[in-house]
Amino acid sequence: METFLDLWAAYGSTVTFAMVNALFALSTYAVLSTGVLSFTTVVFAAVGGFLAAQLSGKFGLPLWAAFPAAALGGGFAAAVVAFAFLRLESHWMALASLALVLITRVTALNAPALTGGVNGLIVPVRVEPLELAILLALCTVVFWRLHRSWFGLASRAVREDAAVASTMGISPYRIQFIAFLISGVVGGLGGAALAFTLQFISPETYFIGIAFTMIASTVLGGSFHWLGPIIGAAVFTALPTTMQAIVPQIEDVAKGVVLLLIMIFLPRGLIDPRAWGLKKAAKLREETEAKRAAERDAHA
Amino acid sequence: MQLFVEQLINGWALGSLYALFGIGFGLVFSTLGILNAAHGTYASWAAIAGYYAVERFGVPFPVAIAAGVIGGGLLAVVVDQIGFQPLRAKKTGMLGALITSIAFWIILDSLAGFATGQQSLAFPAASYPNQMVVMGPLRVPQMQIITIVALLVCTIGIHLLIQKTRIGAAMRAVGWNEVAAALGGVNARMVILLTAFLAGATSGLAGVLGGISTSNVSFTLGEGLMLKGFAAVVVGGYDDVRGTAIAGICLGIIEVFVAQYISTSFRDGFTYMLLLAFLIARPRGLFGSASFVRA
Amino acid sequence: MSKASAAARTLRGVLAGAAALAIGYAGTAAAAPAAGEYGVGFITENTGPLAAAGVSYHRGAQLAVDEINEGAWIGQGVKLKLNEKESGSDAARAVQALTQFSADRNVIAVTCCILSPVAAALKPVTTNAKLPLVIYGATLPGLPQPPYVTSVVGLPGPQEVKMSKMLAETLKPKTVAYFVNADNEGFQNRFKAAQKVMEEAGVKTAGVVSILSADTDFTAPATQAMATNPDLIMVWTTQTPAAGIIAALRARGYAGKISASDVISPAPVFKKIGAALAGVPFPIVFSSEISSSPEAKKFVEGYTKKFGEAPDTYSAQGYTSLYLIAQAMKSLDGKPSREDLAAALGKASAVEYNIYGGLPMVNGQAEVQNSLVAAWTADGKVVRWENK
Repeated sequence: METFLDLWAAYGSTVTFAMVNALFALSTYAVLSTGVLSFTTVVFAAVGGFLAAQLSGKFGLPLWAAFPAAALGGGFAAAVVAFAFLRLESHWMALASLALVLITRVTALNAPALTGGVNGLIVPVRVEPLELAILLALCTVVFWRLHRSWFGLASRAVREDAAVASTMGISPYRIQFIAFLISGVVGGLGGAALAFTLQFISPETYFIGIAFTMIASTVLGGSFHWLGPIIGAAVFTALPTTMQAIVPQIEDVAKGVVLLLIMIFLPRGLIDPRAWGLKKAAKLREETEAKRAAERDAHA
Repeated sequence: MQLFVEQLINGWALGSLYALFGIGFGLVFSTLGILNAAHGTYASWAAIAGYYAVERFGVPFPVAIAAGVIGGGLLAVVVDQIGFQPLRAKKTGMLGALITSIAFWIILDSLAGFATGQQSLAFPAASYPNQMVVMGPLRVPQMQIITIVALLVCTIGIHLLIQKTRIGAAMRAVGWNEVAAALGGVNARMVILLTAFLAGATSGLAGVLGGISTSNVSFTLGEGLMLKGFAAVVVGGYDDVRGTAIAGICLGIIEVFVAQYISTSFRDGFTYMLLLAFLIARPRGLFGSASFVRA
Repeated sequence: MSKASAAARTLRGVLAGAAALAIGYAGTAAAAPAAGEYGVGFITENTGPLAAAGVSYHRGAQLAVDEINEGAWIGQGVKLKLNEKESGSDAARAVQALTQFSADRNVIAVTCCILSPVAAALKPVTTNAKLPLVIYGATLPGLPQPPYVTSVVGLPGPQEVKMSKMLAETLKPKTVAYFVNADNEGFQNRFKAAQKVMEEAGVKTAGVVSILSADTDFTAPATQAMATNPDLIMVWTTQTPAAGIIAALRARGYAGKISASDVISPAPVFKKIGAALAGVPFPIVFSSEISSSPEAKKFVEGYTKKFGEAPDTYSAQGYTSLYLIAQAMKSLDGKPSREDLAAALGKASAVEYNIYGGLPMVNGQAEVQNSLVAAWTADGKVVRWENK
């Protein structure tokens, strides 16, 4: 029991950060699963994070009231972004969303009344790992239901080929708009979760670092299934801690090399439903062939 | 008035660095379809290569520049062949290459820190033209003139290469549709290598010139260029080097003028507001062709 | 139960009692903590934007641990062990490192942080974990919060005031232009302190040029400052900008007086910028070439021997943070707990063994008493500044 407690104390924060990153990755996955590469999760996270920090700091809002507020804030930001950006062609979309991340930081730096400016904000409320786990579980259930719903099917169609999807009566714009709203809500929650975990946020908190962490987590884990981003976030968060334990001198280099190797050898990510499908198909084929062979033998 | 003109030239030279870097970044994006997060490290490493050429071997200025340019180009080719080539066959689109480029960014940035001993280094003053050119009441540093000329030469050269030569036509074809280009008899592999080298070399030139004129050779050099060079690409339109050049120069001048006449705290805000305005109002940039849609 | 095992039990009991007696006796006699190795967590910043300074802080701490252990400074058999975890100046990584230290039962105290926002992020975590934290670099007022958070870094203010007064008297400038970091509160405070002194002495402000910490091109800001035609230019910025600004001013042909802060004191800055730095005065609390107390000399000698270069003001701070922890350990008996150590740290009224010629502590915050005004010579030595 003692060893377990020690382990938890040592790596508990890694688990906590992995859960926060999982929220960011799910937010990225939400839009990516409809074929949109967007870094705007960072923007939604910043909105959610600063909103939650201010509400709990200035108005004494409890944790479970601040989370819905952050989700709403993120969702609203997502609606604005989707309205402005969805008409852009996919490459521009990626650039534009990255630009928006840079703009968000500069805006946050120059609005000290809202964000604390360069000095940041102290967040008086703390989220317990168990509460975070519940939040992540709730989000996961939503993604699981969506995956199996008509919306999930439609978003996969839009991702594969938007033109074909629209001939089938699916409006890519509508699907992607909804995806952005989901991304915004989850991103806002993630931002608030980060604020309540770090208990200190500044404009630097929501910057390129998160953008790359979440996109790497999503793709690393696999962007074709909701489980992918969660697994990916866990791996990507544990990577620096592991590398620090193994090769402390070159932990960053080692982290990069591992990421590179995974991408080269598993370009579709760790969780790949297509690979399962192929395996299943192969097994099925084997079985049928075995059956046929058996039948042949019986006839012979 | 003298101050105004001096600051105009300061801004122009600064913007020329952004533009030079942006041209490389935009080339990779438009021709190879890669959003390359590691691009900034090419500039850092080019400056480091140039610095050690001077420090260890005492080479003259043009050789130091050449070392940086070739170093940047070769690094870009290596990164492309290790990080991007294996993914081309697997059809992962922009996503896979983005992640491997993030991996290279982490690796190369960290190694650059080791290479400079975590310090910010500077070229010895005697190793480059560090005099002031006097033009009437104006005094302009030689490095600024070199930077401005370098951008002009690179922009015109690369524009002509892409628009007027067979290689350029092949590059445009690959950028349009790699499979169709290959069917049309274009050696896609050759074009990819050439584009990667050219992009790394141009950004490397920005890195080594910037490293000299700002007395800063470290991994922060590439990061700074990356943020502003990226803005130049978005404002200028990524498929046209002329747009990137003009946008880069304008961004540099605006930056200097906002700091001089308004306030430094608004400087970056101004740049990025302009960026946002362009994104919303003219998403294809200054010269971006309206019909340009990648397959 | 067999007789044999009962006898064994009795024997064990007697032995345990004797052992307890022995420890108790040794403890009271030496008035020092129980012998053993105690871990000190050191959150390094050996990579990332501030790595240049980060390496110096770390080396200073390494030297202090060697000295403390070799000389049995805390007590016979009491050794410190430095446990390092890298943060790269990133708040999230620093928080993770701190929680890992708090889980390691051998770690009795942690020392950290160059950046004030990172230190601010660690404050609630370390207080929750009841783990004493000594700040070695960050200088925002109000960071220390005894008993769990203390700082060995003197707040900016007195040194800057002292130098500004000296410059106002000796140089008698009529106007001054200032460079200041728009995004660093510490340097804004230094700038304001200097400006106040100057204006009280009747020196006008010719202009204030703000720059940002991440800036690298200073040609335009230099042009801007020179256009105000000042008699003196004061540079109150972080290290990379300060070096870049002075280089740019000289490269553009500014021949007037410049002053700066202690950020230009480390040797690599001179190596980088060279003769352009010569004669630029800066306030400093420790200089390997000027500080002359026996403690300072021992520090310089030991550091040069171990690392092959002279220590700078940052290594001095890393060194001091470990001596403060050692001092608090020394005051404890038996097996010290983190709570006891924190209480001892919070109560410290001075860092007793220091290289500054006195370093009092008030409410967990060190205060610098003695500062010098120094300058580089053209051949790369730090000397007391004189108006030439």
